[in-house]
Amino acid sequence: MAEKVGSVLVIGGGIAGIQSSLDLAEMGYYVYLLEGSSAIGGRMVQLDKTFPTNDCAMCIISPKLVEAGRHLNIEVITGGEVLGLGGEVGDYRVRIVRWPRYVDVGRCTGCGECVEVCPVELENEFNGGLDRRRAIYRLYPQAVPNAFSVTKRGTSPCKAACPAETSAQGYIALIAAGRYEEALEVIREYNPFPATVGRVCTHPCEGECSRGRYDGAVAICALKRFVADWVYAHGGGSWGSFSDGVTGRPEARVAVVGSGPAGLSCAHHLVRMGYRVTVFESLPVAGGMMRVGIPAYRLPREVLEREIGMILAEGVELRLGVPVRDIDGLFAEGYSAVFLAIGAHEPQRLGIPGEDALGVYYGVPFLQAVSLGEEVELGSRVVVVGGGNTAVDAARTALRLGAKEVVMVYRRSREEMPANSWEVEEALREGVVLEFLVSPVAVEVRGGRVVGVRCQRMALGEPDESGRRRPYPVVGSEFVIEADAMIAAVAQAPEISFLSPDHGLEVTSRGTFAVDKRTLATNRPGVFVGGDAHRGPGILIEAIADGRRGALSIDRYLRGVPLLTPREEVPLPVVDLAEEEIRELVEGGEVEVGSRVVPRTVPVAERLRDFREVELSLTEEEARREAARCLRCGICSECHLCVRVCKAGAIDHQEAPREEELRVGAIILAPGFSLYPPELSPELGYGRFANVVTSLEFERMLSASGPFGGHVVRPSDGKPPKKVAFLQCVGSRSKDNDYCSSVCCMYATKEAIILKEHDKEVECTLFYMDMRCYGKDFEIYYERAKKDYGIRFIRTRVSRLYEKAKTKNLFLSFVDEDNKVKEEEFDLVVLSIGIVAPKNVQALADKLGISLNDKGFAQGKYFSPLETEKEGVFVCGAFTGPKDIPETVVEASAAAALSASLLYDVRGTKAKTKDYPQERNVENLEPRIGVFICHCGINIGGVVDVPAVKSYAATLPYVVYVEENLYTCSQDTQDKIKKAIEQYDLNRIVVASCSPRTHEPLFMETIREAGLNKYLFEMANIRDQCSWVHMHEPEDATVKAMELVKMTVAKAALLKPLSEPKIEIKKHALIIGGGLAGMESALSLSTQGFSCTIVEKESKLGGQLNNLYYTIDRKNIQDFLNELKEKIYSRPNIEILTETEIKKVEGYLGNFKTTLLKKGEELIREHGVIIVAVGAKESRPKEYLMGDDERVLTQSELEKTLFLSSEYIKKMKSIVMIQCVGSRIPENPNCSRICCLMAIKNAIKIKEISPNTEVYVLYRDIRTYGFYERYYTEARRLGVLFIPYRPEEKPHVFKRDTYLEVSLKDSFSHDDLSIKADLLVLSTAIAPEENEALAKILKVPLTADGYFLEAHMKLRPVDFATEGVFVAGMAHAPKNIPETIIQARAAAARAGATMAKGYITIQGTISEVDPLRCIGCGLCETLCPFNAIRIVETDKGKKSETIMASCKGCGICSSSCPQKAITIRHFTDEELCAQIEALRREAEEAMVKVA
Amino acid sequence: MKEVTYYPGCSLHGTAREYDESFRGVASILGINLYELEDWTCCGSTAAHCTDEALAIALPMRNLSLAEKYDREMVIPCVACYSRFKAACEEVKEHPEYLILPYEGKVKIKYALDFLSEEESLKNLLSKGVKPLKNLSVACYYGCLAVRPPKLTEVKNYEYPEHMDRLMELMGAKAVSWSYKTDCCGASLVMTRTDIVTHLTQKILSAAIEAGADCIVTGCTMCHSNLDTRQEDLTSKGEKRKIPVFYFTELMGLYLGHREVKKWLSRHITDPMKLLTEKGLI
Repeated sequence: MAEKVGSVLVIGGGIAGIQSSLDLAEMGYYVYLLEGSSAIGGRMVQLDKTFPTNDCAMCIISPKLVEAGRHLNIEVITGGEVLGLGGEVGDYRVRIVRWPRYVDVGRCTGCGECVEVCPVELENEFNGGLDRRRAIYRLYPQAVPNAFSVTKRGTSPCKAACPAETSAQGYIALIAAGRYEEALEVIREYNPFPATVGRVCTHPCEGECSRGRYDGAVAICALKRFVADWVYAHGGGSWGSFSDGVTGRPEARVAVVGSGPAGLSCAHHLVRMGYRVTVFESLPVAGGMMRVGIPAYRLPREVLEREIGMILAEGVELRLGVPVRDIDGLFAEGYSAVFLAIGAHEPQRLGIPGEDALGVYYGVPFLQAVSLGEEVELGSRVVVVGGGNTAVDAARTALRLGAKEVVMVYRRSREEMPANSWEVEEALREGVVLEFLVSPVAVEVRGGRVVGVRCQRMALGEPDESGRRRPYPVVGSEFVIEADAMIAAVAQAPEISFLSPDHGLEVTSRGTFAVDKRTLATNRPGVFVGGDAHRGPGILIEAIADGRRGALSIDRYLRGVPLLTPREEVPLPVVDLAEEEIRELVEGGEVEVGSRVVPRTVPVAERLRDFREVELSLTEEEARREAARCLRCGICSECHLCVRVCKAGAIDHQEAPREEELRVGAIILAPGFSLYPPELSPELGYGRFANVVTSLEFERMLSASGPFGGHVVRPSDGKPPKKVAFLQCVGSRSKDNDYCSSVCCMYATKEAIILKEHDKEVECTLFYMDMRCYGKDFEIYYERAKKDYGIRFIRTRVSRLYEKAKTKNLFLSFVDEDNKVKEEEFDLVVLSIGIVAPKNVQALADKLGISLNDKGFAQGKYFSPLETEKEGVFVCGAFTGPKDIPETVVEASAAAALSASLLYDVRGTKAKTKDYPQERNVENLEPRIGVFICHCGINIGGVVDVPAVKSYAATLPYVVYVEENLYTCSQDTQDKIKKAIEQYDLNRIVVASCSPRTHEPLFMETIREAGLNKYLFEMANIRDQCSWVHMHEPEDATVKAMELVKMTVAKAALLKPLSEPKIEIKKHALIIGGGLAGMESALSLSTQGFSCTIVEKESKLGGQLNNLYYTIDRKNIQDFLNELKEKIYSRPNIEILTETEIKKVEGYLGNFKTTLLKKGEELIREHGVIIVAVGAKESRPKEYLMGDDERVLTQSELEKTLFLSSEYIKKMKSIVMIQCVGSRIPENPNCSRICCLMAIKNAIKIKEISPNTEVYVLYRDIRTYGFYERYYTEARRLGVLFIPYRPEEKPHVFKRDTYLEVSLKDSFSHDDLSIKADLLVLSTAIAPEENEALAKILKVPLTADGYFLEAHMKLRPVDFATEGVFVAGMAHAPKNIPETIIQARAAAARAGATMAKGYITIQGTISEVDPLRCIGCGLCETLCPFNAIRIVETDKGKKSETIMASCKGCGICSSSCPQKAITIRHFTDEELCAQIEALRREAEEAMVKVA
Repeated sequence: MKEVTYYPGCSLHGTAREYDESFRGVASILGINLYELEDWTCCGSTAAHCTDEALAIALPMRNLSLAEKYDREMVIPCVACYSRFKAACEEVKEHPEYLILPYEGKVKIKYALDFLSEEESLKNLLSKGVKPLKNLSVACYYGCLAVRPPKLTEVKNYEYPEHMDRLMELMGAKAVSWSYKTDCCGASLVMTRTDIVTHLTQKILSAAIEAGADCIVTGCTMCHSNLDTRQEDLTSKGEKRKIPVFYFTELMGLYLGHREVKKWLSRHITDPMKLLTEKGLI
């Protein structure tokens, strides 16, 4: 094996991944926590409450999120994906990609201002699609990392098609929202000529528009023109301030040669960046081709001049009539960079006889002359040669100059014409005659003047290199078109001969400059070329694009950074919407359904009179409707408004995916699960019926942070429902999904209960197949739902829903428990959708080389759950099969234990530690308080007058320094705080900002880094508790903020430094119980490198396993047990004490001292932790003739018989099993969990041994959760008969001479049955051991039915509230073998994490007893929930004493002490009273003022 | 000109003559040549299919063998026939012994509604429509066999089919959304349990009325007769109005301006003329 690496990759950031990561990080490993979405938290954060305690899911998971997010040894990678796996176990190389989130997590402060400006709304998946969110978003308010991210699907086709990369989708979204000024800003980020381009652009974007594939592209160009015209007409459009987040640009001058679109655009962008720019122009006017090449009827001069004027007004220096010949000269004059944009003005001659005659013109010079107002003599008949836009412009211009007949001759056909079709159509409408397949051969000249053009007909041959068919002349087809003038407009070329020949620039064969197409850089550093000068004749927007690209490149060149951004290097793919999707968007009502707008034009008769503009601008109404047609292909429209408002400079749309390789010793896979798509059960009408929702949607509806603020309402009409039905097993236990989703019965019951708590009047009905409440205390919860909440449970599977057309109520018919068909109406139906394997998990499994089961889950082996065939790759959570939160958490810890066992010898080698400077002594120094007041963007600053609070704070006692910050939590502010501490010798720090819950650790860390004790810090929450709740009363909020600051400062003045002592932990564990759980815990700890002692009261190890023989998947349990024992005995660091009991446990976490009794002899063991694994047992109730008749057995007795004497079974004609004997009854209300499985296991075995033996299972609910369902199905296929009975109609057993008679009422058919049984097998309850004594010794609690009670049922399932004590196996609750193994390892993980460091750090905020005041009454000891305070005998009598290692600082002892002898550090009476006093004084002063 | 083999089945020669006539009428306007299968026999969806396995397979297979002589698809307007044909094609794989005449399995079997809802056909229809069904709200009723069992019919949205709705919408009608599109009307129990049938038809009829439909459209001969003839009870139980039931081909004929629409409709028990007059469609 290669050298091992002490780090672990955890894939999946749900509760499983988080728990694995926390355990491993605590154990001393470095953890990469890889999550695909933008935040960790997984599914659990979507839940409202959790069963069976009804805790708020967010409240209980939130601290874990924060802990994982801040842990020094957990690196959270969001937007991450695994690409491939290399290396080998212990040293895996995992290639991953980090998908861009476009927001820098390090800089984003989560203020949310970006969301306000984002124009793109989409379905909010987090809320089940019940509401909408923006394209820039945070998954949920408490998200970790607390940073936003941007949803992009790709580059929208319009943006990709635009040479200038204009975010058309962006400005269109803003136009649709009526935000015209901002829309114009978006256009002008790329293009300073929106009104110009909006008139003449050939708009390649529209050619690619996805909507074009449905009913016509969005009229993007017309919208651009509209918004420019609208803003200019309303007095807007002046250039505002500029910021692109770049600071510290160099001072430099740039020369731009040519004032055409490329040159001016370049100059514009550079000037805005802060460079000094000079534009050199050889002509007497600026604008290049825009000014002299485009006729005014298409581009009115005032429009262009306005936009040129605006650019010049920004400070561009323009030198007209100054041709540049020498590039070196420009550098010599002090320009640091040069942009050449000299255009292509040189016409190409036709090369035919007579071209020099009077009356022959060339396209561009002709248009230029007309534009410059020169006299042009055309006569009345004009022939125009060419098929491009210049030719069309020339023809239409000729008409406007008075020509009566204008004929265009073009040598190919209409299809090949390069001119835009709409221009050609306008020309035709205006009367231009088009002659196709005609080519001029000579100009007919008479008297030096043109009198006609001799032409010949052409025919089309084979395609040439342009793909168009090559024309060839038709012999003998010559003819003459009489004409007074000919305008040849076939091509232009750049003219570069005017430059002095030593320019040193590479030139192409076409006579253009050679450049790098992406950067426009030439071979000469600092010289860039754009526009027609490098492309040859192109379209306007290309030239403008080059101007911007040139400016970006010059800026980057001058700053010395790479000329391309990551995203320019690795472009975002262009979105390609499927036809189907486009149709759904339009027909589904997501976008405007109307067809493309047609801009109005001036009638032909009017327009030919002069050069007035032909096409008219859209009206506002037309524009908004047209804009609403946009399909928003890219999702994020890249309008970049978020970039503008982000004061933290955190948003970067130029991010690109980054690949990297992680080196890790082990991998834990916790990708979670997906939900069954209810559309696959169309009979239930989800998606068609408004009032049918999924359980997850309902969960969000219940949640206070959900789409309706916690008010459950019907989606159809927003009214609260009065009758709600929950349908179980949607997508579970069906033909296609032949397993049980394990959690739906409980979550649906919980949802019904919570709904009842919202509104007592609601009637809730749950339609189920079997209620599967098999977890700890779940059955009690179910009973409460029935009895206390009046929730109706009906055992039936609803096959179809009907919607009432008018009321949108749902109508369902079902067979009720009396076997009658009933019909009932409900106004809301909740589908309890099942759990399916996570999406795309097969691809991940393939990359890692692990196999999945037929449903895509990673089911482990029975005796080695969580392990895969790939060594060092472990799995946990719902991915291994549907399960609830506690089991997920247990598996997560167990997976951590497996990793730790693998990497025990490299523990700590990759973990980071942090060194802090020596703490300054502040004792006896006068307080010098620094106050930092946060604007939180506008979260606080928009309501509270922060400067006023700042001045006020400066007047408070001991305050020597006050500062206001935009974001106090940002990294640069942390540096500022540290500097201020040093500069002003501050010794107490107050931050007035948000919640200490999320931010206090950060600030404490900061002052610690500055040499202050971290407890010299105090926080005032002026956001959540002030600006947010008083957002409409800014003045009062300001006063309140002042008061809060005053109180906080008053306390801060009294703060004392607190120490955090370390206590050594003994690295030895005591394991109580030598059954499966105890042995597995011991083995795990041993392989993690910790020694332990197993204490077993019996004479041999194995516990209940000694009574079991085979597993449900037919493995031999005794073989497994023997192997396990061998392993245990072979480990030198495991001590085994059989026939030993616990007598006494002293001490606490880290330093326990336990007295043991082994056959009367006392032994003492010192250890750091305890694992309780005492197990439970099968009970033998006196019921159904048990004990009276030897034909009545328990399931384990049957198992033994089946295993040892199959011949005996073959004689049996009929065997009856009765379930729930002693379980689920008032005396023992819980479910014993394993009996259904055991019965089915044994029933299958009977059928295997003796197929003709009849087997009857009399049951209440069959609880084969998860994939165990398949065994239930198998048993039925084998002919095992399952007959349900009701608890109030229990079966009766009668002893007959040759058989036992079992009589019962079948609760489905209501038939009375009588069965002759040769054997009666009772599935008797699992009963806990006599745990009271041990619980007392350990000072840990028991449940009402006598099992050990963990610290928290959901998130601390193997811990006790008492530190250092853990629980595993059936001591916790009934469970089967794999579950026990997993839990044992989890307990070993938690115990290992506790011992790994070798010490524990005691927090500063703990209780402290004043022995002089203490009277030893013991009240505190009784009340402490953590067993962290105790009474000790001293020479002054009984006194209370804090056990520092266990104290959590909750304050119960302090507040209850009658003598006021107990203080909680950092929350002393003195400090709290000072706060109150400060507030009182404030109030009194206010009263005085009023008086 | 498109050419197809036409298998009318017994209903279309009897109680559902208007379906036969309207289908032929529509086909002729749309330029579809219907070749009625020569010497066709019963499809077996009568009592045969549940009483005699051999007959259930042999009857339809005989017809298919006859149809295989021509290189044409076979269009069947009666869903019961259609269903039997489709089922027999599957069943014969298990029981080749019931095949009387040789059959290679080349005949494409199409249900008339599916056939006329194909994209090409819809384009053709749109180009020839003369009387848009404006202001007419229809409840499209597919019944149980038109789309089920999906393994045979290969219809994807078998719980909530929409192709008839789309056809109606294209002709200018408004198709209401309702939950009873594929519910059973009880036709198979007509003789044995009339009480159940009455209950089922009433549910469908009142649901269509509640959904705001002016009429019901169907493509099943049994559903049609069942729904069309059981409306007396409806009004006697408090429903204010009756609701006409059309074959989809009748409305297509109306839309295409067929001369004989009135003749077809005159055979209905629940009079549709008043409705069509009110809506200005006739």
